[in-house]
Amino acid sequence: MSSVSGTICGVDTAAESRTASRPFLPGHHKRQSLYDLLFRGATRAFASLVLALLLGILLSLVWGGWPAIRAFGWGFLASAEWNPVTERFGAVVPVYGTLVTSFIALLIGIPVSFGIALFLTELAPVWMRRPLGTAVELLAGIPSIIYGMWGLFVFAPIFAERVQPWLIEHFGSLPFAGVLFGGAPQGIGVLTAGIILAIMVIPFIASVMRDVFELVPPMLKESAYALGATTWEVMWHVVLPYTRIGAVGGILLGLGRALGETMAVTFVIGNAHRLNFSLFAPGNSIASALANEFTEAVGELHSAALIELGLILFFITYCVLALSKLLLSRLARMEGQQS
Amino acid sequence: METTERPPIRPKFSIHNLAFFYGSFQALKPISLEIPEKKVTAIIGPSGCGKSTLLRTLNRMYELYPGQRAAGEILMDGENILDPGQDLNLLRARIGMLFQKPTPFPMSIFDNIAFGIKLYEKPSRGVLADRVEWALRKAALWNEVKDKLQQSGTGLSGGQQQRLCIARAIAVRPQVVLLDEPCSALDPISTARIEELIAELKQDYTIVMVTHNMQQAARVSDYTAYLYLGELIEFDVTDTIFLKPRHRQTEDYITGRFG
Repeated sequence: MSSVSGTICGVDTAAESRTASRPFLPGHHKRQSLYDLLFRGATRAFASLVLALLLGILLSLVWGGWPAIRAFGWGFLASAEWNPVTERFGAVVPVYGTLVTSFIALLIGIPVSFGIALFLTELAPVWMRRPLGTAVELLAGIPSIIYGMWGLFVFAPIFAERVQPWLIEHFGSLPFAGVLFGGAPQGIGVLTAGIILAIMVIPFIASVMRDVFELVPPMLKESAYALGATTWEVMWHVVLPYTRIGAVGGILLGLGRALGETMAVTFVIGNAHRLNFSLFAPGNSIASALANEFTEAVGELHSAALIELGLILFFITYCVLALSKLLLSRLARMEGQQS
Repeated sequence: METTERPPIRPKFSIHNLAFFYGSFQALKPISLEIPEKKVTAIIGPSGCGKSTLLRTLNRMYELYPGQRAAGEILMDGENILDPGQDLNLLRARIGMLFQKPTPFPMSIFDNIAFGIKLYEKPSRGVLADRVEWALRKAALWNEVKDKLQQSGTGLSGGQQQRLCIARAIAVRPQVVLLDEPCSALDPISTARIEELIAELKQDYTIVMVTHNMQQAARVSDYTAYLYLGELIEFDVTDTIFLKPRHRQTEDYITGRFG
């Protein structure tokens, strides 16, 4: 036994003395730190590029929109008028349309995505998980123009014939909410755009949620099951809080797509600059207004007003990000402070 | 399987010809065993011998995973828990479980304990608070956390988290507590506290624990089962197993000549 350990010690000392007599070559060391320096510089440059781009886009939006900002001031945000002939512009209609369609999209998309993710991770038989998961991801890959065409030619007529009359009949006469379901069933409009957007954001939110649900340690789920919890209770009280940052990230990804979606919305929203609280009425969103009018904008003020709309969309996206960070920190506080 | 003279003790679980399969792989050869009530029963054996598998049949945790199935009979107070008609959630509510690593839920310390209680009862706020305090006191954690019940359970130290999990398990007043290597992620001091706790808890609960640590089995258990390659080699009073085991294999394992 002792002889064996002696040999090991001997080898060790020999190795040590070798390294001691031949330390790092100074040249080698220098090259190493040069590479480090280059690498650090390159990554820093890439990271700063993001900041520079962000600032650049922001500045050019302000610059391009300046004539409109100077002409209308804060009134731009309060006016629902949009008249290229008299050159009077206001942002209320497209901002309202953007917010409402995105809200509808999330209202439908979040619960459905949660259900899909829950089914895929917990309930579906194993043979079904992969094909179904792939199908969800494929849905995310369909170009938005296809959604737009499908929405206009297939979904909207069916919606106008079957669903809208039913909604008008059952909800149209409600005291306050009735306003939302008034008007003629035209098929295209804010609600249709919201539903198409919901279909478009579901694959994003569902696949992110599925991925984060799969990261939950099995032991954590088992300990909730071991208390006698049902699958729903485990998902709702343990898995969802555990994955909330990832889940909110998925929802934000979906919201980002809904806020900025252009083609699909342009097809089905109706592109009317009229403020109408009925969800069936045609409206407009910022992105579709930009897509439709930019090429035809004649006056300087018209293009400037469109660019200012772009600036507002930028700002809305920023607010949504900030709000979600706030929400997450509130949730963390509800869970209890980390000691 | 042979046993020395045993004091007459009521069995909590009577296991008859229990076999277990992961797909086509048989992890447990038919096992028969009686787990006495309000005692600590340790299951020992080398890795992969089926210790945890045996433990997880007692609350049918394996059913979460497709392809895993048990055959045979496990009577808990005379009722076959492997019966397909058995309500799994009610069964698990009667059987607490602790895992290799502490698994606090992502919520406050108070809510960690209250979660299980609220699954099956609708206690008033005051009753709930009393139950939470009772459970935390039982788990010897109350004094350390009483001023920070609203803080996150995940912020506690490893040993505290494991005691939080014990409190969570006993707060629902189970009849049995299953421990799956409960100290494998803890330092010696925390381990000693958990072991003290196990000794106290056996007055009220039937405890079945899987452990890799033979000294631990010798210290805290009343009965010990030795499993090897899915077979129950020996089951007896712990002292007998450790002092004069009947089987050569058992002796080799506990003396460290193998395994």
